[in-house]
Formats: sequence, C-alpha cells, structure tokens
Amino acid sequence: MTLHLDRRHFLGLAGVTASAAALAACGGPSTTGGGQATSQAADIDFNGVKPAAKIDFWSSHPGQSQDVEKSLIERFQAKNLGISVNLVTAGANYEEIAQKFQTAQAAKSGLPAVVVLSDVWWFRYYTNGSIIPVDSLTKQLDMKMDDFQQSLINDYKYDGKQWAVPYGRSTPLFYFNKDHFAAAGLPDRAPKTWDEFGQWAPKLKAASGAQYAYIYPALAGYAGWTLQNMLWGWGGGWSKEWDIICDSTESVAALQWAQDSIYKDKWAGVSSKEAADDFSAGLTSATIASTGSLLGILKSAKFNVGVGFLPGGPKAATNVCPTGGAGLGIPSGISKEEQLAAGMFLDFVTQPESTAEFSAATGYMPTRKSADMKAVLAKTPQIQTAVDQLAVTKVQDNARVFLPGADQEMAKAAAKILTQQGDVKSTMTELKATLEGIYTKDVKPKLKA
Amino acid sequence: MALPNLVLIAVFTYRPLFSNIYYSTLDWTLGSPTATVVGLGNYVTFFSSNDAPKVLGTTAVFTVVTVGGSMLLGLLVALALNAKVRGTTFARSAVFAPYVLSGVGVGLVWLFIFDPGYGVLAWLLRGLGQQSPQWINDPQLSLVMVILVYVWKNLGYCAVVYLAGLQSLPQEVMEAASLDGANGFRRFISISLPLLSPTTFFLLITTLLSSLQAFDLIRIMTPLGTGTSTLIYEAYLQAFGAYNRAGYSAAISVVLFAILLVITVLQLRFVERKVHYS
Repeated sequence: MTLHLDRRHFLGLAGVTASAAALAACGGPSTTGGGQATSQAADIDFNGVKPAAKIDFWSSHPGQSQDVEKSLIERFQAKNLGISVNLVTAGANYEEIAQKFQTAQAAKSGLPAVVVLSDVWWFRYYTNGSIIPVDSLTKQLDMKMDDFQQSLINDYKYDGKQWAVPYGRSTPLFYFNKDHFAAAGLPDRAPKTWDEFGQWAPKLKAASGAQYAYIYPALAGYAGWTLQNMLWGWGGGWSKEWDIICDSTESVAALQWAQDSIYKDKWAGVSSKEAADDFSAGLTSATIASTGSLLGILKSAKFNVGVGFLPGGPKAATNVCPTGGAGLGIPSGISKEEQLAAGMFLDFVTQPESTAEFSAATGYMPTRKSADMKAVLAKTPQIQTAVDQLAVTKVQDNARVFLPGADQEMAKAAAKILTQQGDVKSTMTELKATLEGIYTKDVKPKLKA
Repeated sequence: MALPNLVLIAVFTYRPLFSNIYYSTLDWTLGSPTATVVGLGNYVTFFSSNDAPKVLGTTAVFTVVTVGGSMLLGLLVALALNAKVRGTTFARSAVFAPYVLSGVGVGLVWLFIFDPGYGVLAWLLRGLGQQSPQWINDPQLSLVMVILVYVWKNLGYCAVVYLAGLQSLPQEVMEAASLDGANGFRRFISISLPLLSPTTFFLLITTLLSSLQAFDLIRIMTPLGTGTSTLIYEAYLQAFGAYNRAGYSAAISVVLFAILLVITVLQLRFVERKVHYS
C-alpha cells in the first residue's frame, strides 16, 4: 500500500493528529452507563487472610517527610519480616497524589495499598467507593482507637464507620517575627484578636522595614482553609452543615476586613506562592501557615520566630482554628491480603512512638494522646503551641471539605476580593450559587438519607 | 509501508479520540466505577454556563497573541540573524535554545523572575522605586505573564524556520529589484514577504496547533488556571483538578478538537490559496 503525502496533505494530517492527540491526552478508561457509585460500607472479614508480601505506599511526603517515612518503613519491615513496603512519591502535594489515585481508580490498575489522603479528598473517595472502612482491620489488629486525638480521628468518621486514620495532621499557626515585634514595641506574643493585630500592624510596618505587617497565604493553595479562621471569628463561615452561608452578613464582614487590610489600610499583602517562604525571607512580619511548615521556617528564618494561636474575631475569640492535613486510607480495589498488610502498616505508623518521630521530623501534630513528646518538645518547644491549640480546634465547614472543587471556587472568590478588590457581597453571593450547584449535583444524590 | 503506521495511529490516536467522544456523553466522576449517559448534556452545560465565554475568550486571546507574537518577533529576529555580521552563529543558537528547553523548567525559572515578593523583576522595580505588579495573583496579569514566557520560549522556532526561508530566497530577484531602485523595506514588503508565504503558512498552522495545546507553562505558572484557563487547561482542571468531572472535561476537549479541525480545514481551503509556492 502506498500513500501520496504532499505538503498540503501533511499539514492537514498534522492538524487532525494534533487535535486527536489533544483529545487522547484527555481520555480515560472506559466506563458503563448506570447509577452513581456508593461506597461499599460492609465490613470486610480478614479472618484467615495472610498479609501480602509486598505493598505500595503512595505519599506526597507532607512536611518534607520522605526521610522519616523511609525510617518508619525500615522499622516496620524489621518488625514484620516478610512484608516489604515500597514508598512511592505519587505527587508533590495532596492534589497531585489525588490526581494519580483517581486516575488509577479509573484505570482499575496500579493502585497502592496505602494512600495519603487530605481533608478535602477522603470524602470523595468514600462516595466513589474507592476506599474501605478500616473498622474491621482496627478491630482485628487491636488498634487503640481511643488513644487517638479525638478531634483528628473523628474527621474521618462518616456513616458510622472509620474511613481513614490521621497521619500528617496539622492546624494553621500564627507565625510572627519576634525581632520585628520588639522593634515596634509590641508584646512578645501573637495577637489575641484580628482587631488587636489591626492596631499593631501600622506600627509593625513602620518599625520593621518589611514589605508587609501580615501576608495572607497564597490563594492558589488552600484559601478555603486559611480564611476559615477569619470567617469563624466574625461569626460566619463557608457553610453551616449543608447550608451555604458564605454570603451572610458575618462572612462578608470578615472578608471585607481582610480586603481593607490590603487596599485601605495597606499593611497586608497576599502571598504569590508560599507564605511560609515569604515569612522566612523577612518579607512580612507575620503570617498564617500550617504546623507542617514549622520546622522549615525555623530552619530557614534568620530571626527569632514566634508562634501562637490563630487570632479570634469580634464574635468568636476562641475555637476559631480548623484542623487540616492528611490521613492514610486503604483502597477498595486491591486484594484482601494487601488490605491486611496495609492495615498493619497503618497500625505501625500511628503507634505513639512512630507519630512522635514523625512529628519531630516535620512539625505535624502527634496523632496519639500517649505519644511521648518530651524529647521532641525539648528540641522544638514551638510544637507545644500546636498541640495546645488542638484543644480549641473545630472541624472544617462541610462546604470546604465535602464539595468537590469547592476549595478551588473559594480560592477564586478570595482572589477576586483580595487581589482585584472585587465587591465582597456580590462575589460571595456568586460563590454561594456555585457551591449550592456543586452540592445539588455532585454530593446530595450520593448522601444517605 | 504506510499500513503499520496507520495501525499505530489508529490504536493510539483515533481509538482514544472516539472513546473520548463517548465519555463526553456521560455524567462521570473520575474514579467512580459507574456513570450516567446524559447525551449532549455536558455540551449544553458548558455552552450555557459562565465558563464558555471565559474559557473561549482566554483561548482566543492566548492563541492570537502567542501565534502573532511568535511569528512577528520570529521574523524580525530572523531578519537580524540573516545579516552577515560576526556572532550570528552564537546568536542563532541563543535564540533557538529556549525552544528546546523543558517547559516545566522554563516555567519555574520565569515564575521566580516574576515573583512580586522576591523575584528579580520585583527587585529591579524596587530599585526604581516601583512596586511589582501582582503577576501571579491578578488574573489579567497572569495571562500576560504566561503569554510573554510562551512567546519568549517559542519565537526561536519561528526565527529558525523563517531564517531558512530567507536564505532560500532567489538572490537574482533581490538584485534585480535593487537595480530597479527598490530600497530594503520595499524589497522586503514586495518580494521577501510574498516569497516567504509558504513558510508563513507552515508556521501559522504549526504554531496555531501548538498554541491551542499549550499546557506545561500554564500548569507550572498558574496551577489554578486563574485568568489562564484555556480550553485544554480547563479540560485538565475539570477532570484532574479539584472537580473530577471526567465527562464534562471530555466534552470540553471535543470542543477543542472541533475548533482545531475547523481551523485546519479553513487554513487549507482559504489561506493556502494566497500562498506563493515557488
């Protein structure tokens, strides 16, 4: 067979092929028509099952935890001879690992036995039936569930079952440059409320020489998480149960205050990439960042770093800190043998000494009440603030953690308000409509009555 | 001889194409084992939503400016490189180098340059007593930033192809025009440009196709696609970003496919007629 291919046909073929390649890149595995997925909530019986000899652990190494993860794996393997754990870097952040996991689900192959899942992703895995409840495993392996920090373990409870266990769990912390605070004659502590900080900020900016007194965390990151504190402080929120309240008077007032700090009072800015880096570089006197950034900040900052609880607002001075971070889950699409080995690994990495080791290496919070933190705190006393703050944390609003894509929509709305000086009320009204649309279409049909 | 290649293209290009068209008729959450057939529902949702004008507008602006910018600057650079002066070999390599660099690496480096906090550009502007624009947070400036980097990365390709075209122009025609008193500008407009039309046509198609598929720079420099959500990036975000709407994403990529197809056919039918093949 011969084919005459002149310049004209070549260019035409190139166009069609390029178009098709664009499509192919966006393609996915085949699927069948039918109803929506629901999670397999039935308990799995692991009696008589032998653990698999080799399992994969997909991690994004939260808090630069690759080394401590390797160390934990070595200790696990030494204790459980015959089970080998392969640590896979499955993404640089929670979103990338979720992307890889969802794709593997769709392809029905290459699934890991243990996967890191963030606060905004595990519920989607539950609704898609992608993960198993771990109750039967925790029972069989005699895991001390009541020794977990209750606010952290309860985050993964739904429909009467436990869908994951806490791993790299964090809260936001208020970080401040002690040297700047001293130069401005301010108390050596974090502000108790945002109003108090609003009074300090002009002095701080004048005395420190830094570009900003405060920098809002990058919106492309987790604006829905970092702004939760202000919304609660003003008596608002993203949602109350499943009612979207981001356009309430209180929520609008909170974001208006944030906008004014940038455009009217001109002492705040918005980070372009990573607020923790901006803070460490001395660009700002204060910021909010994850506890998982603590050790990185302490290592790179060339000034005295102070940490404190998140400031309160005019309506709520305390209990204004959301929990966050990641847990570990077990996929449903793997063998029982792999699931059992995965359960054993989960048990090991959440042991008190393991969580203390992980905490020491990253700054994430110890997930077990009985974790001996003396050595860790002696070395990094700032971790104590994060642990103490845990007592005044709140579970995040449903809209942020349970609605697919809500975090992105919140980030876009926050960007409009904080970087383009958009009208707060109309932006929040628009966001409410979007979030309600996502709830009605993507979540409500999958919720059990 | 063509059969094995056609089989490969059929399996790896056209099969996914038809699969994707099928997925575009499903309400399918990525990762879910089941889906619902919704016919043209995803297309109706896209074209009746606020997404369509924004995404199509961004795609149009990005494509027109990057294609026009790369070709125009590429031509100007090619004219400069065509001059017989010292250092042109080095200059040609320098101009072409960005084109072969990894888009991810280029994106990361330029992101650092544009960073309003501690980027090189911000440092230079501070030296002049100016604040850096919010390149990353402002959607309009984000688009400008990505376009600038895209044009910088790709103009070398246009320059090299134009240079090859310029060097193959018949010198006797140029000399005759000179003898007739045509100055350099006149010779360029009346002789070089028309004779370069096959090159221009080739570049128009290839840069248009690659511009409509630009992904790496957008992904690295503006991960949320704020202000830079072109059709292909929106398709990515919808399926693999936070939303996991695989069927809806497939519909957007079919729209992109249709646009590419129509543009290619129009170019072959109408634009090529104005091309002078020697």
